Amino acid sequence: MKPSTFRIIRNEIQMLYNQFKQAITIPSMLLFYGVTLIGVFFVSLVVSSLLSFAPIISQLGTLLETTIDRGMFFGAFAILSASSVITGYFGLGPAAIITSEDENLLLPAPVKPYQIFLGRYTRRIVRKMAFTILGILAIFPLLLSANILFFSIIFILFCMIIFFETNYFLGAMSSYIRLYVGQRYKSPLRYIVVILIGLVMLIPAIPSFTSTFTVAYVFPSNAFALVITEMTGVFALDVPFLLGAGLQLMMYIICLLLTASITGYDYYEVFSASKGSEEIEGRFSKVIRGNIDFSNSRFNDPTVWIMLKDFWSRLRSPFQIWKYIYAVVGMIFVLYLNLFHPVWFRPLVVPPDLAFAVVPAFVLMLILLVQMSSLTSMLSFVDEKDNVYLLKASPFKSKDIVLAKFLLSFMEVGIAAIPACGFLIYIMRVEGYLALITLAAPLVILFTATGVAVGAYVPVMTNDPKTLPVPLAFSYPIINLSLGTAMVLVVAVFADSLLVLIALPVYVLGLTLFFLASAVRALNSYK
Amino acid sequence: MIQRANVEQMKSSELLRLARVLKLPILDRKIARESLVDKIMVEIEARNKREFIEMKLNSPAIKIENLIKRFGKKVAVWGLNLKVNPGEIVGLVGPNGAGKTTTLRILTGIIKPTSGSVEVDGYDMLDNPIPAKSAIGYIPEKPTCYPSLTVREYVTFMARIYEVPNEIALVRMRQFVDMFQLDEYLDSYIGTLSKGNLQRALLVGIFVRDPPYVLALDEPIYGLDPRGAWNLKAYLRQLRDEGSAILISTHILEVASDLCDRFVIMNEGSVVGRGTLEELLASQKEARSLEEVFLSLTGGIPE
Ligand SMILES: Nc1ncnc2c1ncn2[C@@H]1O[C@H](COP(=O)(O)OP(=O)(O)O)[C@@H](O)[C@H]1O
Ligand SMILES: [Mg+2]
Repeated sequence: MKPSTFRIIRNEIQMLYNQFKQAITIPSMLLFYGVTLIGVFFVSLVVSSLLSFAPIISQLGTLLETTIDRGMFFGAFAILSASSVITGYFGLGPAAIITSEDENLLLPAPVKPYQIFLGRYTRRIVRKMAFTILGILAIFPLLLSANILFFSIIFILFCMIIFFETNYFLGAMSSYIRLYVGQRYKSPLRYIVVILIGLVMLIPAIPSFTSTFTVAYVFPSNAFALVITEMTGVFALDVPFLLGAGLQLMMYIICLLLTASITGYDYYEVFSASKGSEEIEGRFSKVIRGNIDFSNSRFNDPTVWIMLKDFWSRLRSPFQIWKYIYAVVGMIFVLYLNLFHPVWFRPLVVPPDLAFAVVPAFVLMLILLVQMSSLTSMLSFVDEKDNVYLLKASPFKSKDIVLAKFLLSFMEVGIAAIPACGFLIYIMRVEGYLALITLAAPLVILFTATGVAVGAYVPVMTNDPKTLPVPLAFSYPIINLSLGTAMVLVVAVFADSLLVLIALPVYVLGLTLFFLASAVRALNSYK
Repeated sequence: MIQRANVEQMKSSELLRLARVLKLPILDRKIARESLVDKIMVEIEARNKREFIEMKLNSPAIKIENLIKRFGKKVAVWGLNLKVNPGEIVGLVGPNGAGKTTTLRILTGIIKPTSGSVEVDGYDMLDNPIPAKSAIGYIPEKPTCYPSLTVREYVTFMARIYEVPNEIALVRMRQFVDMFQLDEYLDSYIGTLSKGNLQRALLVGIFVRDPPYVLALDEPIYGLDPRGAWNLKAYLRQLRDEGSAILISTHILEVASDLCDRFVIMNEGSVVGRGTLEELLASQKEARSLEEVFLSLTGGIPE
């Protein structure tokens, strides 16, 4: 390795170490880390004491073998690879690792682009490993109760990380293909390429390649699937699973080197182009600066005004449109599923011996799905970037700002949650699902409020309001998971009396108000 | 080149570090500062005799030919030609949006030109970026730096990236930390610095290398207080006299007129005037100062 690659890597590790040092000396950071770790530990302790996983795990194999076939199993992993290749094609590729600090320091310095890439990538992998280890410690009770060998879990996790990292490289290479093709051909037909490379990722999963051990197993998705099948014994071919892991590792290294070698000066251009478009959006949200704009608008209510501003400025980002399209298409699809029960898409058939677990599983899935849909609420303040200070300095009351953020996020979370819930109803036929699904509404309200509050705390903890600190991002789902479980407990305790009609609203509204009030407090105590 | 005066500036702990870097045997438990400095200077002079090569920039140090840059439909720079020789400070002046920052970003190899060529220190930026970039020192328009490094770590990192020998890095870091009064921030995280101190840290990060440089400074005076600005200007003049080539973009004309030898005036991406102050005054009959030359070239002197 050239000395300067080594120097850049060393510097990246130094920064990571400094960040860690800073994080453990800031009380609020430490608090959020603590909440996350202890929360996960606690949740996994509770879950493992309520349910004994050993029988579920032992039946999972047979369940899998009866519900899906080997081809579908391999296909699922191939689809993961294909989707990362397709999203990678439209993404920034290795340019995504360049920051505006690099732009001013390393881009004009005598270092090669691949050296910056290797440095940043090393940091990413070290960071990921550290978090994985913490995560494994936190879910230790769950692992114990599941009666799975500790080693196998670690090993599968390790292979999974390698699989996802390899997919990341595949995505980066596919962005390179776009760059290469785009420089040579201008016709819109060139986008056919993305479909082709997507297909290339799917082909190796065809059963005739995977039913016996063939060359097709060098493909990362097949290799990872092989590790799982051979370790669990489901669909096993009786090949040593270490062979799959070895193939994975080999492909990982090949893809890492390939990605490093395609990281050239062209990506500086890609980076600065992406930054240019970001600035246009920034300018748009700077409308807020002029009081004239504000007083000239028809809306005199600051809450409505902030909501409209957010709605329109978000709509400018290409991603947002897809969210609405997803909501509409998803809703139509879910309606279709529930009304017509198509034969080609049957709901899960739960074997009778697992029936005891199905209601908790339904509720847990419900909480998780609403949680996933509510991620946008956490970004409602982060998306303001540095303009959050402008917003704060503007002549609005903090509580109007928080209310505006809450209401708009509520709408967005709501439309994202509806298809997810409809899908859940269809796929898991549970008795009394109508009563259970109504819990989605209070969950959406509550999770949106926690999201807004967590997002509002970003500028309190750092002076870089556009990046979400890791402990915040991690504690958000944990807080929600705990609140959601507690809510279900409240409902279960009062289920038989009319008291539930009081207890549930009191619980939800009380907590919602509490979180919104903390958001207001956060807004008033920015660094 | 390490001067005795600069070694004497160093703190005792830094002197010991320097002695270790130079592999000087220090046997006594206590050593007088003076004699340590003596020992260090003897070693440095011995090394200079052995391996000192005078560094010189190729001429012209900056050569930009027919540079065009488009962002989509927007033309940011149109047909720019520019040469800067070693020993010259050239001012790139123009109103906001004239294309100054874009020019400097192309010069430093951050972005590519749409067409045209850029050479730095005699090397083409597209064909031979590494040697071209090793001469460049760049101060961006909006200074940013890795927030989770301390100033000391950052400067050390820059020294490593540009392959500055350890002993030179140590001595020069102290020299410029003193010049820009950064001593109390040396071990603070960059993320906590004010804008002016961040800019000073970036300057130390450049000057930790041995001159001569090809400097591309984008509004460098803007964030500095009067003393910092004065120190920088004085040091830039010294660098010029020692053979560096300096291109400064600014729209603060006082800075330009008292620092620069020549001017290139840009407006809406094109060059609208160039030359020394005298030449510019001669070409614009009605103008009496650089300010009036500037105004009349970029849209007329307001009544
Ligand atoms: N990344 C970019 N994308 C689109 N337009 C840009 C980009 N960078 C600069 N421009 C445009 O190019 C022109 C020149 O900008 P700049 O070089 O920053 O001017 P100056 O530094 O002289 O004020 C401006 O009109 C600016 O809007
Ligand atoms: Mg500029």
